[in-house]
Amino acid sequence: MMRQLLVFALARVKNLRVTEADDGVDGLRKLASARFDIIITDINMPIMDGLKLVKRVRSDPTHSATPIVIITTEGSQEDRQRALQLGANAYITKPIQAPQVIAKVKELLKIE
Amino acid sequence: MTNEKKGRDSERPLPELKKERDSFIHSFFTKGAQFTQELVNENTRLRHRLGELEQESAKLRAQVASDDAIRELLKTIDGLEREKGNLLSRFQQAEAASSRWVDQYTEVEGELANFANLYVASHQLHASLSFRTTVRQIKELLEQLVGSRSFAVYLATGDGKTLVPIVCEGLGKPRRIPVNPSDGAIGESFATGMSRVESGDLSRGSVEHPLAIVPMVHENKVFGVFAVYATLEQKPRFMPVDFELFKLLGAHAAGALICACLFANAGHKIPSFDPFFDPET
Repeated sequence: MMRQLLVFALARVKNLRVTEADDGVDGLRKLASARFDIIITDINMPIMDGLKLVKRVRSDPTHSATPIVIITTEGSQEDRQRALQLGANAYITKPIQAPQVIAKVKELLKIE
Repeated sequence: MTNEKKGRDSERPLPELKKERDSFIHSFFTKGAQFTQELVNENTRLRHRLGELEQESAKLRAQVASDDAIRELLKTIDGLEREKGNLLSRFQQAEAASSRWVDQYTEVEGELANFANLYVASHQLHASLSFRTTVRQIKELLEQLVGSRSFAVYLATGDGKTLVPIVCEGLGKPRRIPVNPSDGAIGESFATGMSRVESGDLSRGSVEHPLAIVPMVHENKVFGVFAVYATLEQKPRFMPVDFELFKLLGAHAAGALICACLFANAGHKIPSFDPFFDPET
């Protein structure tokens, strides 16, 4: 459900094409096959969670500079801090709102 | 007497007369020279004065010309000031219009986001014929779209005498107990089919005082109720879209669950549409 909302929100950002991944492992597989402008990941995912994904992405020189946004819930302040320490650039708290996502993505990609 | 004097003058000696004549002539010429000098001086002074006056006149003429130029410039400045005023006024109008556009754009973006929420909710509710998946979608909708922290979804038993919790989130196991339809706010909502949603501060919700109680209705029959007891910290009040989401859930969740139930009862096989085909058409 959240993924659909994210896709909708990102479709509102001009010239942005969205690639979806089912979990962290699927995300890494897709990251290996193409270059991406931004990565948005939930902190809670099956198989590989958002924190592990952030760590793996940052250790890969190809994506070391790609902005990462993590999506968290209110109770995961420690996770948020950990994600930022691992190299995430920003976070969005649930419930996600399209305008909030759009603003964050535009800010990170420096889009007017 | 006069003749006597004349007689005496003519009697004076010639050199004396000559001396007197020379003295007179000298005096005459000296005075003439002085007078001439004075005339020359006066002429020079007047020439000088004329020069001064001419200069003054030229200055004054220049000043008049300059004053004219200044007057022209002042006129131009007045014109420019007026133009500036007009432009400022137009700029302010344009700014106000722009601000209105920005407000409208923000409003439209907000409405679009709300529609997206409703679309996603509606789509997800009916995306699966699996009972478990549909229940999970209702749970996710309350969690991720509404921002609920603790909530429960109750379904009525066949005889309608008990409300059984099929989702109980953030309440702990002791709360997973069936509810008597005649008890409390949840029972009241089930009995009347009326929802109750808190429109103000959401920080005081509890199991005893739910923030939202919404009956799940299908074809005017209430099949269950969902209740929200607490919301996420960053959700201090329900937004207009939340009220719409509650309405949507109240109107669609029961239908989706009934479909899932019927599908499960049909052995997870999609029945044929053949009985509905009218051979006449």
